[in-house]
Amino acid sequence: MKLFCLGLNHETAPVELREKVSIANTHLGEESTALVACDTIAEGVVISTCNRTEFYLAAESIEAAAVALADHLQTRFGLTTDEHFYEKHAREAAFHLCRVVSGLDSMVLGETEIFGQVKKGYAAALEAGVTGGVLNRLFQRAFSVGKKVRNSTGIQEGQTSVGSVAVDLAEKIFGHLRDSQVMVIGAGEMSRTTAQSLLSRGAHSMFVTNRSYDKAVALADEMGGSAIRFDDWEESLQKVDIIISSTGAPHHVIKPEHIEKVRRRRKYRPILMVDIAVPRDIDPLVGDIDEVYLYDVDGLQVLAAEARKRRQEQIRICEAIIEEELGKTQLPGL
Amino acid sequence: MTERWLLALATAFAAFAAVNAWRSLLGGHRSRWTLPLLGLTFIAQLMALGLRGEMRGACPLSDPGEILAFLSWSLVLFYLMVGPTYRLSLLGLFTAPLVVILQLIALIPELMTPNPPHVESTDAWREAHAALSVLSFGSLTLAAVSGIMFVILDHLLKEKKLTGNLFNNLPSVHNLIDSTKRLLLIGLVILTIGIVAGFLTPNLGFNVHLVVASIVWIAYAVLVSLAYVRGLPPHKLAFSSVVLFLVSIFAFGIL
Repeated sequence: MKLFCLGLNHETAPVELREKVSIANTHLGEESTALVACDTIAEGVVISTCNRTEFYLAAESIEAAAVALADHLQTRFGLTTDEHFYEKHAREAAFHLCRVVSGLDSMVLGETEIFGQVKKGYAAALEAGVTGGVLNRLFQRAFSVGKKVRNSTGIQEGQTSVGSVAVDLAEKIFGHLRDSQVMVIGAGEMSRTTAQSLLSRGAHSMFVTNRSYDKAVALADEMGGSAIRFDDWEESLQKVDIIISSTGAPHHVIKPEHIEKVRRRRKYRPILMVDIAVPRDIDPLVGDIDEVYLYDVDGLQVLAAEARKRRQEQIRICEAIIEEELGKTQLPGL
Repeated sequence: MTERWLLALATAFAAFAAVNAWRSLLGGHRSRWTLPLLGLTFIAQLMALGLRGEMRGACPLSDPGEILAFLSWSLVLFYLMVGPTYRLSLLGLFTAPLVVILQLIALIPELMTPNPPHVESTDAWREAHAALSVLSFGSLTLAAVSGIMFVILDHLLKEKKLTGNLFNNLPSVHNLIDSTKRLLLIGLVILTIGIVAGFLTPNLGFNVHLVVASIVWIAYAVLVSLAYVRGLPPHKLAFSSVVLFLVSIFAFGIL
């Protein structure tokens, strides 16, 4: 009996194609059963998420199973197994499944949701009675490898974009963001995406100020916040916890004296200032104030780059763990 | 089992908690065992102090060994109350080594009188003064621990050293400031009752210990008032909580 995997994912196929082969959780069992209804396929498991659909098969003849699966895809979805699909055989298929379960093959590297999604696909096939000695051992092994990879590596740690690094910093300073008030100075694209990241993680109130008041109003409306005239932003310093600044000003917009003026009234509460403007909007001396945590775009980019580098290292470590774990047991079908 | 063995057992639990917590941190995750191990430490401490109390027929606060054992017990007591409530991860990591140090000193033979004599009579105010004063230092010690954790996190954030297991596992700045303030307030309230009990102790006369305790109380009262009413820069709050704790312990140590 040999192991075979055919699939497509976010890297190999556009969303228009992925949605065609997308299978609802409630139909995964039926789909696996339909596969095994082909004479040449002995066991089958179907995994389907928004980013991937994969068919894992065990068959006496890979060639015959591949032909049967291609026919099934043609009949069921009206698709031909073209360049958007990938094929994995034997050990390569087992390695691929372990990567998928560990989140190494996901759009958001290391995400954990995939683990449950694969489990659902396998459970549906198991319940339908279309798995056997090959796929049962393979999936059980893959789940244990996936757990080990997550527990013994830092694959989920670290953010890789400027916006998400800023959000991580905000959470390290304020814990949850639901009580945090945000002020966006400058209505540019970078401010917008960073502010969106903060809102998506719970920040509840947002003030937007910009030299062009209309732009401030537009961004505030989009974010569900309120616009402030540029001449009045200093007054809001007292109440905000996070400032994202990205104006086109050729000089510093926020200077130490602005913060010094409101420190007492703020009761020295911590404040996170994210300066994503070039040239910088916030005087670096502001960062010397006790309760101010100031980060400029270079600092954030360095952090994001470090996280990306660490993740690449982590991928290598994860793959080594998978290789080692697969080598420990003799799985059938490889 | 004698009280010394029980205290040694408590020290072993705390040491195991400390080693396990640090090893886990170096391995990139938080230990799940810190809380149960410090729970066992607490039980062993309580049994040891109970035996000492029975021997003396009074609150076991009559020699330096007992005072240190009582202080480390109250430190663990506040850790067990505050750590899980405020979800202050890593508080145990910093608390457990301190408990070990305090108890190792307490276990030095000269510091804990063997077979202490049974007292003939006790005074409730005096007992309350001693017990509550030391108990308050459990909370004030934990405030200092929380302050140290803030200083470390603040340094990492300011210097942009935002990687590593310590940074990843420390609680947020907001949580640390909040817990430092609350622990200082709780400590101050208990210390206040303890000092009032001291002044109500009959036939006490002029007592240097009580004068020093009052000075310490004033210092903590000023710090807590500033923190709650006027506000204090977080670094100053954390630094003050640590310095004030060290100065107080030093002062009481000399006495």
